[in-house]
Amino acid sequence: MTRARLPLHVFLLLLFVGFLAPLVWALSGSFKPRGEIFGYPPELVPDPFTLDNYRSLLTEQPFGRWFLMSTVVAVVATVVSVFVCALAGYGFAKFRFAGKRLLFNVMFSSLSIPFAVILVPLFVILVKTGLGSPWFALIVPWVAPAFGIFMMQQYIVQSIPDSVLEAARIDGASEFGIFRTIVLPLLRPALGALGVWQFLQSYNSFLWPLVLVSDSSQYTLPLGLQTLFVSEQRQYDLVLAGAVLAVLPAVALFVLLRKQLLEGLSTGAVKG
Amino acid sequence: MTTTVVGPPGAARARSTPKGEERRPRRTWAPYLFVSPFYLLYVLFMLIPVGVSLWLSLTEWVGLGTPRWVGLRNYRLLATDISFHRALGNTAVFVLVALCLVVPLALLIAQALNTRGLRVRDLWRTAYFVPIVVSPILVALVFGLVFDRQFGLANAVLRALFGSGGVDWLGDPDLARVSIALVMLWRWTGYLTVFFLAGLQNVPRELYEAAALDGAGRLRTFTTVTLPALKPVTAFVVVTSFIGAAQIFEEPYLLTGGGPAESTLSVTMFIYRAAFQRQQFGYAAAAAVVLFVLVFGLSRLFNRLLGIGRAAS
Repeated sequence: MTRARLPLHVFLLLLFVGFLAPLVWALSGSFKPRGEIFGYPPELVPDPFTLDNYRSLLTEQPFGRWFLMSTVVAVVATVVSVFVCALAGYGFAKFRFAGKRLLFNVMFSSLSIPFAVILVPLFVILVKTGLGSPWFALIVPWVAPAFGIFMMQQYIVQSIPDSVLEAARIDGASEFGIFRTIVLPLLRPALGALGVWQFLQSYNSFLWPLVLVSDSSQYTLPLGLQTLFVSEQRQYDLVLAGAVLAVLPAVALFVLLRKQLLEGLSTGAVKG
Repeated sequence: MTTTVVGPPGAARARSTPKGEERRPRRTWAPYLFVSPFYLLYVLFMLIPVGVSLWLSLTEWVGLGTPRWVGLRNYRLLATDISFHRALGNTAVFVLVALCLVVPLALLIAQALNTRGLRVRDLWRTAYFVPIVVSPILVALVFGLVFDRQFGLANAVLRALFGSGGVDWLGDPDLARVSIALVMLWRWTGYLTVFFLAGLQNVPRELYEAAALDGAGRLRTFTTVTLPALKPVTAFVVVTSFIGAAQIFEEPYLLTGGGPAESTLSVTMFIYRAAFQRQQFGYAAAAAVVLFVLVFGLSRLFNRLLGIGRAAS
């Protein structure tokens, strides 16, 4: 095994550099004046170093509003969806009921329905019924992902013993009471994992907001940044600064909860 | 190795409940109430839209007024629409990239990361996962810069290594596809690595020891121990990657706009363009139905071939 160590580390290191280089380059570029971003050879440490990109992004563009829009939508979507998924996951993991198999398969097969299929009709339905407001339409259709339910079901089956639930029933607890006071607290790690996953899904989503949101005062971060990107003169300096700021909450969340996320994600696939 | 497999309420139950309790059915509405929010949302935002899509695909509609019934005309037009054929072909290429490049590379990296005694495994693991945290728009703009013909990082690296750059990454039809493939590789490999790594760490050590005792070499150990043990994970990864790649949108939309000469136009982009840029809602719906049939059908087929859900019985 020792023989294999050196090439192994070289392989991993090369990939590591390859994976991070574009991000590091972008980060460093966000601190360079516009003319220097494309300097050759590319310089890692910005010289001259400037905060102008950030300053003009924050003062000349409605960055704060985009940020608020994205964050609020993502937080609400995350809280609701984690709850819906935990409910359904628990229902599937711990009960026997008529039609369970069919219902589970229906839920599971919805994983194979491409989003593009419902894109057009969903847009038409929501706009025609007057439910096309971003506050509703950016959130509600996405709060019940089958993947989340499946993840919860797997986690509950593996980690919550029936005896605990039986004991609570004998003590006369209501079914929802059991869910709220026993199951939810025990689910905390899985809820964290699903929460991060769901937050990233919502916070980073692009196609649906692109279709849905036409009023620029309700743009989410990706939409707002896109306007800088596709404008006549690509404002690379602002875009890079925006990119760095936009990714910060996602990275922070990921760093805080990465163990849970990585393990939670694999629960479904590995045991499954 | 646990035997529960994707989609197994039956198997899951058998594992979690002692046999004796199985015979005592509790008549209660509780489980239905627990799963009902999902099904309510599912019907409203999945089932009904799919139905509407089917119906719209049989009409001609510009988004205003009443849709006009045209029967199968949209499908007949799609059959001869060169752009749609290109979109299907390009999407097939992207799917192949995902399945034949991204998945194997992820497995390879996971193997490397799983080497016994590897230091700071968590750091490596995190580094590879980071791209998934970055939103598609950011990925696109960063790679838009990386692939810039004159000043991009990609050409700068080529110039430093070989003394010549100036490759038109996004302007040449073939290279544009290569560029999209590179972005896919960058964005998805680490994510899939996580699944494989978790799978590898679940393989019982005794199996490797037994293989070593039998004098199996590295390749043989891989094919007789690792691969079979990884089957459930692989099945999951293959099916998810397939479904993901089949609906690729952001990368080509933001990086190349589907061009040059529609060489990176994907099916989802085709649908988006038809509906929201050309107001051909019926036509877009028909293309969506074709995509639905292909993705749903093929992922069922993958499921069957790879044995997802089979251990449920």
